[in-house]
Amino acid sequence: MSILLDQSNRVLVMGATGNYGKFFMKDAGSYGTTIVAGVSPGRGGTDVDGVPVFESAKAAVVATRADTAMVFVPPVLVRAAAIEAIEAGCKLAVITADEMPVRDMIEIRAAALANGARTTGPNSPGLISPGKAKMGFMPSFCFMRGPMGVISRSGSLSYEGCKRLTVAGIGQTTVVGIGGDPVKGMTAGEALALFHDDPETKAVLYLGEIGGVEEIAVAEYARSQGAKPVAALIVGKTAPPGKKMGHAAALVGSKADGHAAKTKMLRTSGVYVSNGLPDLVKQVQVALAAADRT
Amino acid sequence: MMILEHEAKALLRTVGVAVPDGTLIKPGLRAPKVREYPVAVKAQVRSGGRGKQGGVIRANNARELHAAAKKLFATEFNGEKPTVLLADPWLAIERELYLSVTVDSAAGGYVVLYAPRGGVNIEDGPPPVRYAIGPAWKFRAHELRAHLEPVETDYRIRERVISLAQRLVETAAARDCHTIEINPLAKLADADNPELLALDGKVVYDEWAHYRNADIEAQRQGELKRAHKLLRASMEMGHMYVKLDGDIGLISGGAGMTMGAMDMIHGYGGKPGCFLDVSPGPASPRGYKPAFALLDGDPDVKVILVSVFGGGTQMNRVARALKETMATRKSKKPVVFRLDGTYVAEVPAIFETFGAHNHATLETAAREAVKLAKRTK
Repeated sequence: MSILLDQSNRVLVMGATGNYGKFFMKDAGSYGTTIVAGVSPGRGGTDVDGVPVFESAKAAVVATRADTAMVFVPPVLVRAAAIEAIEAGCKLAVITADEMPVRDMIEIRAAALANGARTTGPNSPGLISPGKAKMGFMPSFCFMRGPMGVISRSGSLSYEGCKRLTVAGIGQTTVVGIGGDPVKGMTAGEALALFHDDPETKAVLYLGEIGGVEEIAVAEYARSQGAKPVAALIVGKTAPPGKKMGHAAALVGSKADGHAAKTKMLRTSGVYVSNGLPDLVKQVQVALAAADRT
Repeated sequence: MMILEHEAKALLRTVGVAVPDGTLIKPGLRAPKVREYPVAVKAQVRSGGRGKQGGVIRANNARELHAAAKKLFATEFNGEKPTVLLADPWLAIERELYLSVTVDSAAGGYVVLYAPRGGVNIEDGPPPVRYAIGPAWKFRAHELRAHLEPVETDYRIRERVISLAQRLVETAAARDCHTIEINPLAKLADADNPELLALDGKVVYDEWAHYRNADIEAQRQGELKRAHKLLRASMEMGHMYVKLDGDIGLISGGAGMTMGAMDMIHGYGGKPGCFLDVSPGPASPRGYKPAFALLDGDPDVKVILVSVFGGGTQMNRVARALKETMATRKSKKPVVFRLDGTYVAEVPAIFETFGAHNHATLETAAREAVKLAKRTK
């Protein structure tokens, strides 16, 4: 199994007729993602490579039984498009956009909660269940099917990390890009809960950064009764305090969210914390070996 | 983006938060018109910890004010020299409190943080009480009251804090702020005055709301204007830059991988000279030329490491952009390349045409950069 995404998700693309939307439909479609509809106000009745385009998410859901939304509209429009898809009945909305106001994401998250839906992102590569389906632009060759659940705050770091796993022969159930923003559609804690319930996921790799509170939930999970083994890498050891390192959430505001405090908290909670990228595969192997013992 | 204290206080004043009646002091002004002494002369800079770095000086008369201003204008605080000072009346304080509103992931939105003992040593005390709200419209006074009751026994202060907190949450949402922090929020020694006064104010704007908030757009323009020419050209491409104290300049893609590369350079005994994430900019010479110009123009940078792992960014395009950039580049600083990701298979052929080598792993590239940096010392 995998979490959130496989070939059974029926995907509609919000912003289907833009460059990103078109590239995604071709790339993800050929990977195995079941893309059933596009939505572009003003372009209803047309098609993109044979996929029908609708005026509204509601019309697309009614006509195609779409249940999952890929949001590819400009950052200014993401809130409107994501909430439209959620209220039309999509149970998952994947958001990759960066440069999105945090208040907009707060409202999207609230809309998802109110409608029993889930959302991931923003400022993220999306998600992929290797060998099954992908929702985003991640380079497919970095991933393969296998036992690791992966959660990442950074897109590029998830490619780098997963390629290292794949080269070492360790595949992934699902790779979830939770994104680099301070408020997330799906938190690391929520993604961990899903991986915990997925029988195919033996252990979880968490790729984190300095700043924010995400790692507290990772540590809490690792300490909980019956938790699956967790490996982690926290980047930003050399980041100076008080400076935003690209991602809005990657800022050391106090000692507690610095690199030393986070790695210590994770280690004392039983997480196999990697000492930099070169050590990553080894820590994942240790986590998998621990999973085999239980 | 953090704004200056006096700007933050102006914002607080517009939403009914009491702030001291301060005076702005600009350089060159011999006799600023301060109404009453003593005053606290405060450097206006965009970084924390100013109080501990001597950025606040007490002045009892005009002569002392002049001396304090001269000193503060000449001092750098975390690399930033103040261009304006704020002289606030020096008030007798009974107690300093801490109140802030910020966004966090666990709350799925806004949180209120409160501590009955605030001030410069807030981090050394017990952690503040945390009330997780979510979206602003979920704020409930009675919920915050229940959080405050165990730590704030003075009900008059408690009720004022609740009322202020609600205003700050609404302001954070309406004006697109990541953080509004008042530290200290002061209960004055004047027993007849129950009002709580914001003696300091820190506001961090959400820069991505610039299109719907003129104040934020003005701050963005100000940031560009303050940047030197080479940095401005890079920022105009959407690049994100943080200067570091090492000698290996990093041109990288994605915040996480940029930090991962910085850490790896450090792990091999080198020192990263900057964080420069070019992924929000165009993957073309238009994007890469200003990034190289910025690092070539930085005398501290001895070696440049280009490390990009792209998904949506296609490596064949990046390789061609690098070829064109290198062709017109004048600097002789060595450059080490490591590209990986979508269409990376096409990279070696493109690199061969201009004699560049693409490292297969970040490890070999980082080691090479560290070795070259040591050689140029």
